[in-house]
Amino acid sequence: MIALLTQDPQAPVNYVANPAPAPVLDKWGQLPELASTFDHVDGLFYFTYIVCIFFFFLILGVLLFSVVKYRRKTWDQPAASNVTHNTPLEVVWTVIPLIIVMVMFAWGFKGCLDMTTVPHEASRNTYVATAKQWAWDFKYPNGSTSTNEVWLVVGKPVQFYLESTDVLHAFFLPSMRVKRDIIPGRFQSVWFTPTITGEFHLFCAEYCGKDHSRMYAQAHVVTQAEFDKEPWNPPIDETNLQSLIENGKRIFGQQCVTCHTVNGTGSVGPTWKGLFTKQGDQYVGRQREVIEGGQKKTITVDDAYIIESIKQPDQKKVAESPYDRNTMSSFANLDDKRIKCLIAYIKSLADN
Amino acid sequence: MSHDGHHSVVIPAPGPEFVPHTVAHHFDTPVQEFQSLKLGFWLFLATEILLFGGLFAAYFYYHDLYPETFREGGRLLSWKLGALNTSVLLASSWTMAMGVRSAQTSQKKKTLIFCGLTVLGAAAFMVVKFFEYKSKHDHGLVIFTELFSGYDEAAKQLPWFKDYDGAMANVPHGHMFFAIYLTMTAIHGIHVLIGAGLILWIMKGTAKGRFHAGYYLPVDLVGLYWHLVDLIWIFLFPLLYLVP
Amino acid sequence: MTTNVPVIDAHPTVPGLPKNYLNCSRGFMSWAGTLDHKRIGIMYLIGTLLTFLAGGVFALLVRLHLWEPHGMLFTNEKYNQIFTLHGAFMVFLFVIPAIPGALGNMVLPLMLGAKDVALPRLNLLSFYLWLSGAVLATLAIVLGGFDTGWTFYAPYSLYTNQAVVTIGLAIFLLGFSSIFTGLNFIVTTHKLRAAGLTWFRMPLFVWAIYATAILQVLATPVLGITVLLVAFERLYHIGIFDPRLGGDPVLFEHFFWFYSHPAVYIMVLPAFGIISETVSVHSRKPLFGYKLIAFSSLAIAIISFLVWGHHMFTSGQSTYAMFAFSFLTFFVAIPTAIKEFSWVATIWKGSIALNSPMLYTLAFLIIFAIGGLTGVILGALNVDLHLHDTYFVVAHFHYVMMGSIALAFFAGLHHWWPKMFGVIYDETLAKIACGIIFVGFNITFVPQFIMGSQGMPRRYATYVDEFHGYHQVSTIGAMILGSGVALMVYYLVASLLQRKPAMENQWGGVTLDWQTPTPPPLENFYAPPKVTHEVYDYSTLDLKTLQRPVS
Ligand code: HEA
Ligand code: HEA
Ligand code: HEC
Ligand code: CUA
Ligand SMILES: [Cu+2]
Repeated sequence: MIALLTQDPQAPVNYVANPAPAPVLDKWGQLPELASTFDHVDGLFYFTYIVCIFFFFLILGVLLFSVVKYRRKTWDQPAASNVTHNTPLEVVWTVIPLIIVMVMFAWGFKGCLDMTTVPHEASRNTYVATAKQWAWDFKYPNGSTSTNEVWLVVGKPVQFYLESTDVLHAFFLPSMRVKRDIIPGRFQSVWFTPTITGEFHLFCAEYCGKDHSRMYAQAHVVTQAEFDKEPWNPPIDETNLQSLIENGKRIFGQQCVTCHTVNGTGSVGPTWKGLFTKQGDQYVGRQREVIEGGQKKTITVDDAYIIESIKQPDQKKVAESPYDRNTMSSFANLDDKRIKCLIAYIKSLADN
Repeated sequence: MSHDGHHSVVIPAPGPEFVPHTVAHHFDTPVQEFQSLKLGFWLFLATEILLFGGLFAAYFYYHDLYPETFREGGRLLSWKLGALNTSVLLASSWTMAMGVRSAQTSQKKKTLIFCGLTVLGAAAFMVVKFFEYKSKHDHGLVIFTELFSGYDEAAKQLPWFKDYDGAMANVPHGHMFFAIYLTMTAIHGIHVLIGAGLILWIMKGTAKGRFHAGYYLPVDLVGLYWHLVDLIWIFLFPLLYLVP
Repeated sequence: MTTNVPVIDAHPTVPGLPKNYLNCSRGFMSWAGTLDHKRIGIMYLIGTLLTFLAGGVFALLVRLHLWEPHGMLFTNEKYNQIFTLHGAFMVFLFVIPAIPGALGNMVLPLMLGAKDVALPRLNLLSFYLWLSGAVLATLAIVLGGFDTGWTFYAPYSLYTNQAVVTIGLAIFLLGFSSIFTGLNFIVTTHKLRAAGLTWFRMPLFVWAIYATAILQVLATPVLGITVLLVAFERLYHIGIFDPRLGGDPVLFEHFFWFYSHPAVYIMVLPAFGIISETVSVHSRKPLFGYKLIAFSSLAIAIISFLVWGHHMFTSGQSTYAMFAFSFLTFFVAIPTAIKEFSWVATIWKGSIALNSPMLYTLAFLIIFAIGGLTGVILGALNVDLHLHDTYFVVAHFHYVMMGSIALAFFAGLHHWWPKMFGVIYDETLAKIACGIIFVGFNITFVPQFIMGSQGMPRRYATYVDEFHGYHQVSTIGAMILGSGVALMVYYLVASLLQRKPAMENQWGGVTLDWQTPTPPPLENFYAPPKVTHEVYDYSTLDLKTLQRPVS
């Protein structure tokens, strides 16, 4: 127990690289402004809310009144009444709640049917969301991909197939009132129609281990015209170093920031700062103790090592606590161009 | 415990080879004690049934999901050994019932003999079970020495299930049947052993003359337990060996 | 002020007079090996209060950590362990065993007019099973902790590399402790009632414990087999819950909630029982709708087996399942509503003494209305798809578990404290503490409702900035709440040291538990009691001395 309590606090890493701005609240100030067509959620929520408030004040009122009025003044004061039942009253307070809850039930069930019946337009616009510890991969209907950020078209119904490569996760878009568990080995899907443009939170709502709270994606709802520019795939000018670095920074922000930092403090994985130092025009890799096939050895960091670290992170494990215990998932889906960007970005962190 | 004037009720022994039974101090009458313990024990049996109920639920769930696996897997069990064990248990239930009957009629020797036979039945059951397990082990269906070796994620290898003959090669998740078979029969086997232990304990008490027509409740309860163990096997046998 | 205290103290507990269960024998073994239900109750009381405090300390750590969006105290991994510990300690070690184990053991045989529970040896075994569960759970912390959440959802609980098997074993033992306690109480209620104590003369606390016991006996074995299967899965990979091996993790959820939903009524029914007693005694009025309350306990016990799926609305059940589970969830709210209204109606036109047990009771009635009604919100299918696994759920179950059950436990504790120990605590401090707890509690959990409905997911070690303010208010509330609890612990312990004697019948109750001497003798009654009145018949109470005429 002592060991449990005396752990170092974690280095203050960003919660996520680029969280969406706080959603505007709706006019009742309780739910985030509705950004999909599922208005029955809000309707029923506020209906039950009012019912709750009504019964709460009813009970509170009767209690306060009784306590004031029938307070025992002398210690031998008997009760003002010894009534033990009143059938009409009991029928009333059984039947009225029963009616109320049946209304809620029917309303909720109807809404739920709406949320689970996928319309045709949505199934023609199907994305795949792959959840893994602790990141989101998205595949668009046209086959291109992005990580931890997803773009949707306003007004266009969309369906998501939900896949998990490891444990349970849940796909949660509070502004859209959408939530669905993601279960490895089981087909799950959700649909909705975004109705306003903007940036929205996409949380993982099912506990999935250490970085559950940092498994975050940003959902951008944009117009069709903007969507067609494929903002998740900005052009990379391979001849322009600045463009490489900027894109590398972007990819870092989407995929690597949950575990790596660029400011010298360690996180889940080692910081990228200091992997290279700059001597004149040359980038010199640092010496790094790694474990390869159970053997400890010292290597010099270079482009090949970075590429290997991305594609087969388990090949050479950093021999430094706690990184030797943590694992990095493979990012084999990053193409050469993007890896080039990442290397350029890592090098740009070098000090002179 | 009669510090406040209550005197405990004593049930006299029917003969010199028996000892009288003192009703526990907080009961007023022997009947109350008898009924309380009996009710308590039935409730306990209900929890046992629900415990196995979870396992049966899992069985039916996966039987539904992978019917071929259960069909092929069931074929690999020896229904003959299963049937042998079923008759052994049925016979032992009969000897147990006779044991209880003899205790109720204060027949000490007969009680000992019938209880002894029941324990023998339990032993025979476990021996047959051992040979069944061994054959599964030899065919690589449940490799007991590898049970705790962990799961090799990369190679997708389950160390305790190698299926040397490839008998389950064509069905999805062939290990599933054997996992359920092993879990259910092992938990049942543990119950058989506990039951045998309880019967031995009854025999010890009988030898000392503690159980007789006036007081035979523990014999009765252990008998009930043994019938439950038997009953569960009556369900396990067709589900695992025959239904597939 | 103390309007309930008669002018003449008719029967002060004079030390040295006839021996009671506390001083009839001495020494460690006279407690550790005792078969007396009252001593076992006291041991449960100490044990469960300690686990509550431990769970509370974990809760305070959780709240402190969440003071900052990026987490203030721990790594994410440690945070996950702490909230898991908090949940597991509170649920399995505190809230399920506390009321039946401590107060049920203490009071149920008294109320029945029995000398002991039916199976005293089994009762002691239950306690030791609880104790070994507690020891194993603590051992699991030492062995590296466990970070699965109290729900142990597969497959994460199968992969995470920590002391899951140890805590599984602990839960298995605790489960059997609970089963044996329930079994014992069922038998006791059936077989050991005093002469004249018909079923409908039983105090409602007995009814509540009886309904709870049915649930304990019938639901807990499923938990037992579930944790066994998880242990097997981890030890030799049977594959039942492991999707890599063709298993279905959702089956685990079904197994788990098949127990754990009835379990919430295992927790709350005894609390209902306490409230039924305190409401009646401190209003000096027969319970309104006695039979309906008794039957609604049984109705709740039965229906509660059929609603477990409301914890899994987002896991992709079939539409039919959703339909049935949501319908029954709403349905189960009705018997509870009947109870709530009946209690309120009991207070109406009573002779209300604002003693500390009554203050806790009033707090319960207010908080439980909120807790229960927010449960109803969660039962609505489409709304739950938004609120599931957010802080709204967290706030809901703290309103019922901390705000209602724990407060009902405190109400019962204050109510029977004089009976148990023959001493009375400082009433003024008790009232202050109750106020602090009530205020602190609401400050802690109201913000959680708000941020939950705005989408703050639960089990988050770090969070987005917009929830910062709510979390800080909640943390401040928890500190206030904690100081209230600390104050309560203080004056209760102090009362044992100061030994200000309590009266024979401190609050003027008329059930059998108030007819035995205070504290009761070893076998509870000097002469076998006979019941000649209807239950809660305050006309038999001699209001001058608060003594019930002995028939
Ligand atoms: C003892 C504890 C306890 C109790 C008593 C309850 C009582 C109820 N609970 Fe709660 N619940 C939990 C403990 C409890 N719950 C826990 C621990 C969880 C989360 C577990 C986890 O995921 O970790 C949970 C989660 C939970 C969920 C799942 C949420 C989710 O994860 O998505 C749901 C959904 O239906 C629910 C519903 C209810 C309902 C309908 C009741 C009803 O029984 C309430 C009935 C009470 C009233 C209705 C109030 C009194 C009546 C009135 C004031 C009169 C007016 C009434 C009407 C008009 C109806 N609960
Ligand atoms: C009976 C059950 C119970 C009780 C009483 C409580 C009590 C409290 N809980 Fe509990 N909680 C749960 C059951 C309970 N909880 C469960 C089941 C979960 C879910 C876990 C999971 O997700 O797996 C949970 C989760 C949970 C969370 C969410 C964590 C997350 O999702 O990330 C939070 C956050 O605020 C929280 C806070 C609190 C607080 C502030 C209290 C307070 O009410 C506590 C008040 C008590 C004290 C403050 C103790 C005071 C003690 C002292 C002052 C020490 C004095 C010492 C001596 C005198 C020796 N709890
Ligand atoms: C799940 C957490 C995680 C994520 C996400 C992650 N890494 Fe890592 N990374 C680690 C860990 C842990 C190590 C150290 C252990 C090892 O070498 O495997 C590491 C090591 C590295 C190293 C070697 C660093 C050194 O100091 O030797 C590089 C390079 C690297 N990661 C690049 C990346 C890139 C690029 C991405 C994003 C595309 C990324 N990582 C995403 C966890 C992660
Ligand atoms: Cu992924 Cu939580
Ligand atoms: Cu529930």
